[in-house]
Amino acid sequence: MFGKILKNVAVAGLLASSILAAPAGAFERTDKGNVIVFGGRQAIPVLDPHIRYDWSTRMIQQSVYDALLKYEGDPAEMKPWLAEKWETSADGKSWTFHLAKNAKFHNGDPVTAEAVRYSFERGLKLNKGVAWMLKDFLAPENIVAVDANTVRFDLKAPYAPFLSFLPWWFVVNPAEVKAHEVDGDYGQKWLTDHAAGSGPFKLGRWEPNVLYEIEANAGYWKGWPQGEKNRPAGVIYKIIREPAAQKAALQRGEADIVEGLTPDDYMQIKRVPGVVIQDHKGMTTFGIKFNTQKGPTADINLRKAIAYALDYDALIQIYNGAASLETSPLPDAMKGHVAVPGMPRKDLAKAKEYLAKSAYPNGGITLPYVHVAGLEEARRIGLVLLDNLKELGITVEVKPEQWPNMVAAGSKVETSPAMTSVFTTPVSTDPDAVAYQYHKASWGQYYAMMFYDNPKVSEMIDQARAATSWDDRAKLYADIQKQIVADQPEVFGTLQNRRWAHRDYLQGFKFSPVRFTGEVDLYPMWVKAE
Amino acid sequence: MLTFAFRKVLTLVGTMIGIAALTFVITNVAPGDPARLVAGPNATEDMVTTIRTEYGLDKSLPEQFVVYMGDLVTGDLGKSIVTTRPVLEEVLRYAPATLELVFVAMALGIVVGVPMGMLSAVYKDGPIDHATRIFSISGVALPAFWFGIILQLTFAVDLGWLPVSGRLPLVTRPPQTVTGLLLVDSLLAGRLDTFWTSLRHIILPAIVLSFPCLASILRVNRAEMIEVLQSDYIVAARAHGIGSFRIVAIYALKNALLPTLAMIGLRFGWMLGSTVLVETVFDWPGIGLYAVSSALSSDFKPVIGVTLVIGFFFIVANTLVDLAYAWIDPRLRSA
Repeated sequence: MFGKILKNVAVAGLLASSILAAPAGAFERTDKGNVIVFGGRQAIPVLDPHIRYDWSTRMIQQSVYDALLKYEGDPAEMKPWLAEKWETSADGKSWTFHLAKNAKFHNGDPVTAEAVRYSFERGLKLNKGVAWMLKDFLAPENIVAVDANTVRFDLKAPYAPFLSFLPWWFVVNPAEVKAHEVDGDYGQKWLTDHAAGSGPFKLGRWEPNVLYEIEANAGYWKGWPQGEKNRPAGVIYKIIREPAAQKAALQRGEADIVEGLTPDDYMQIKRVPGVVIQDHKGMTTFGIKFNTQKGPTADINLRKAIAYALDYDALIQIYNGAASLETSPLPDAMKGHVAVPGMPRKDLAKAKEYLAKSAYPNGGITLPYVHVAGLEEARRIGLVLLDNLKELGITVEVKPEQWPNMVAAGSKVETSPAMTSVFTTPVSTDPDAVAYQYHKASWGQYYAMMFYDNPKVSEMIDQARAATSWDDRAKLYADIQKQIVADQPEVFGTLQNRRWAHRDYLQGFKFSPVRFTGEVDLYPMWVKAE
Repeated sequence: MLTFAFRKVLTLVGTMIGIAALTFVITNVAPGDPARLVAGPNATEDMVTTIRTEYGLDKSLPEQFVVYMGDLVTGDLGKSIVTTRPVLEEVLRYAPATLELVFVAMALGIVVGVPMGMLSAVYKDGPIDHATRIFSISGVALPAFWFGIILQLTFAVDLGWLPVSGRLPLVTRPPQTVTGLLLVDSLLAGRLDTFWTSLRHIILPAIVLSFPCLASILRVNRAEMIEVLQSDYIVAARAHGIGSFRIVAIYALKNALLPTLAMIGLRFGWMLGSTVLVETVFDWPGIGLYAVSSALSSDFKPVIGVTLVIGFFFIVANTLVDLAYAWIDPRLRSA
C-alpha cells in the first residue's frame, strides 16, 4: 500500500517537473534588447529627486535625471555633466556654470539655465531630502539664470563643500512639473512615481513594492559609453527582501546583479561558476558611538579603556577580511584624510591603565551596546565587545533595536545609549561631510549620538568649510582628525568593503566610493551575450 | 431575527472603533520618530518640522486621534509618511493580491481538507486516520514562515519546478486590471500563458497559507463525520442496504458539513491576518507585505489601515457565521 503511494508520488513528481521546470534564465531578453535585472533589498517609495535620496532611490534618480556634475571613478572625481565648465569668484561666494547646449529632457525640451534655477529653487523651497546640503548658504532668490545656458549661484558666505554636493541636485523639467502641479505642491505628488528628467534612462513600469523598470533613452544627449550597439534596453530593479533569496536568484540567473549579501554568502557564491564578486574599499565607517555627556561613558578614561580593550582583528574577521581598520575619523577615500598616529589598537595593559584612572577602576558596571536589529555583523561586533570587556570587569548588554527606534533614542542626550553601533556613509568626498558630524550643530542626528562637545573642534570645522584655499583647509582637517581621535567620542572601527555579486556576462561595472552602500552606476553597464 | 442582526451590526461598529483606537495607541506609543526617519539622515531640525507639520505629527496625541477618527468616518485612512500616498489608495492597490491568495488557499483547504476528513472518519483508528492526524497536527503546529522557506528551498531552489517569489515573472506585463485577481484578469484578457505562470507563482504561498486552515477543516470534518456516522439514521440507512459510499458521501457529509462551513467562515479572517507572514516570505505584494514594510519604518497610518481592513473582514466573517447559526437555530437569537 505504502509502496504504491510512494510510486505514485514519484511519478507525479516526474510529471510535474517536466511540465513545471523553468528554463535556466539569464538576463531578460525582450524584443528591444537585453534587460539587466538588479536584485536589491529595499523599495523606492518616492522617486522625486528633491524629496528622498537613500541608495536605491538615488540609483534610479541618477539614471533618469542629470545634475550639473557627476561623480565617477575611484577615487571619486567630479565630472562635468550638464555643466560643461564653471568658475568661482575670488571671494568664493559666486559660482557660474556654463551648460552643455545639446542637453535635452526626455520630452525633447532643451535643458536650460532656467530649468537648473527652477530645480534648485524647488529643492530649497520644499525643504526636504537634499535641502540640508545647501540651504544654509544659498537662498532660492540668489540663483540667477544669466542667459539660456549660464546659471549663477550667489552664496551667503563662502562654502567650500558647495561643489561637492551638486552631483546630487538633479535637474527636473519645469514645464512638465508645473503641468502636474496640484495645489502648489511643486508637482510632488506626480514626481513620486513619474520622472521629468534628461538622464540616460526613461521610467518604465513602476510597481511599488515589486519592481521598477527603467528603459534606455536611445537618443541620450551624452551618448552611451558602451556604444549604442551594446547598451541595454533597460534595467529592472526587483525587490528581493531576503539575502538568501537574493543569492538564490543570482545562482538561478533570475537576477544579474545583487547587493547586500552576508559575508558568508559572498564566500560561498564566489565559487559558483559564472559569478563575479566586486569587492572595493568603501567609505562607510563603522563606529561604536559613546554617549559622551551622560552615564559612565562621559568619562574619557573609560572610553579610552574600552577603545584599547577591543580586539580590532576580530572586527576584520567578521567580514571575512573584506574590511579595513579606520586610521582616522575620515575614511581613506576622502580628500584631506590623514592617518592619525596612535589610533587605539588592542592593548590590554593600556586599557587597564585607563580603567584605573576612571571612576570605575574595577569595572563592575553594565553598559548597553545597541545595534540595528537584523544586522548580523553589528550583532557579532557586539559579541566581540562583550567578550573583550569582560577582561575589564564590564558587562555588555547586546541590544538589537529597530532603526527608527534607535534614531529616536539617539536624538536626545538623555536617551542616547552608552554604546551604539553606527554605520555612516558620507554623501560627498569633501571632508566636511564627515567632519561636520563632530560639530555641535549635528546633535540630534543619528551619527552625532555621542553628543560630542569640543568647542575648538566645532570652531575649526566652521573655519575649514568657509576657507577658500584647499591648503588651508587641509591643515585644519588634519588637526580636526587628530583632536577627535584624542577625545575618543567613539571607537573607530572598520571601513567595510562595498560588495556586489554579478553574473560574468554583465560588463561595465564602475565602482565609485562616493555612492551609497548598494548603489551602482547603471549607465555604463551592459550585457555581453554570445 | 432583525433585531438580532441589528445588534450584530452595532457590535461590529463598536469593535471597529475599538480596533482603531487600540492600534492607534499601540503604534503611537512605540518609540521611533517617523518624521525624522523619512526626513533623511542629515536633515536639519526645521526640515523634520516641515514633515511633522505636513503629516499633523506636531499635534498632541489626543488631537491626532480625534483628527484620525474624524477622517476615518469619511473613509480617509490618512497618508503614508514613507510613500506620501493616501493609505486607502495603497490598500486598494495591494488588497487584490492578498484576496487572490486567500481565495486560492481557502479553495485548497476545502478541496483537500474535506475529503481527507471524510477518509479519516471512515477509516477511524486505521493507518489512514493516523497519517492524517499527524498531517493535521503538523499543519496547526508548523510556523508559516519556516514551512514557507522549506518549500521555497525544495521546490524552487533545488528542484526548480516553481518560482521562488513574486506574482509574475519579471518581463511579463500584468493583464489589464479588471478584478485585480491575476488568475481572473488573465483569463478575461485571453492570456492563457499569463494565467498559467501566475498559477505557478501562487501555488507555494497558497499551500503555506492553507495548511493550518486545511488541518482544522480536516479535524472538524472528521469529528462531525464520526458523530454522524454513528447516528440512528445512518444505522437505519445501512440496514436498508444503501451502498456505503452513498451513505458517507451524501447522507452523512451533508449533515457533517454544516459545522465545517462555519469554521471555514471563521478561518477567512484568520487567513487574512496570516498573509502578513506568508507574503513576507514569498515577496507577495499584498497588504500583509505592505503592513510589514510600513511597520519596519515606523509608518503608522498604513499599519492602522491594514489592521482595520483585516479586522473588518474578520468581524464581518464572524458576524455572517453568527447570523447563519442563528438562522438555523432560533434558540441562539435571544442569546
